[in-house]
Amino acid sequence: MRNLTIIVLLLLGLAVTPAWAAPISWHSLTSAQQEALAPLSQQWSSLPEQQQHRLLKTAKRYPDLSPEQKKRFHERLEAWSKLTPEQRNAAREKYRAFSKVPPERREQVKQMVRRNQEMKALQSASGVPAAASAPAGRATD
Amino acid sequence: MNTNNLPNDSRDIAPEPITQLLTQASLRLDDRIVAALHHIHDIALEKQSQSEPVFALGAGHPMHWPKPSSAYQWLAMIILLLAILFGGAGYWQHAQETELSHLDAAILTDDLPLEIFVD
Repeated sequence: MRNLTIIVLLLLGLAVTPAWAAPISWHSLTSAQQEALAPLSQQWSSLPEQQQHRLLKTAKRYPDLSPEQKKRFHERLEAWSKLTPEQRNAAREKYRAFSKVPPERREQVKQMVRRNQEMKALQSASGVPAAASAPAGRATD
Repeated sequence: MNTNNLPNDSRDIAPEPITQLLTQASLRLDDRIVAALHHIHDIALEKQSQSEPVFALGAGHPMHWPKPSSAYQWLAMIILLLAILFGGAGYWQHAQETELSHLDAAILTDDLPLEIFVD
């Protein structure tokens, strides 16, 4: 019975070992993966293994993206990788909630955000601080 | 021994007289031989009842729960349960990972800026 207990404990030990036990070097990535994750080439080795594996899974979708989406993906990747896990989880929750909003309402929000961005762009071009002239923005939260 | 009256082909032997002869002979067996045969018969029955298949379940139980009766059956049962448990957990984790990567890709490519979703 003692041997049985040892075998069961060994099996449990094997089973709870995480799948992402080893870090991945940038050079071991395929050219497609390197292309998708190019903005992270410098800091790749410093990323936690779990984040590396998740980014690789996300990068699998890169070839199917449109050129515009690829551009956005590359532009946001570095900022995304610098977020804390809690911030990323919060962002996912917000995105999930936003996805459940009816399409018309979602489009209204998108237009509002676009207008807000245009205003900010104009203000920054004219040198007026955004918080002074845009009280409804996130800066006042 | 006179073998001239025996049939040439064994297929010509009628089974009924032979059965009668064997029955009569068994009735004339010595008591010790009968007792020995009974003893051997009992041992054979005991061995037959012990040689159950590895995954035999407890028969006659009203709930029909698996009832391992040896260390090997317990081990097999535990391995099976662990396989189901960790197989299920692995599948759930894979599904979670796939959903997260799908969400991440959606956030990174959405036409709404990243700042909208990030605190």
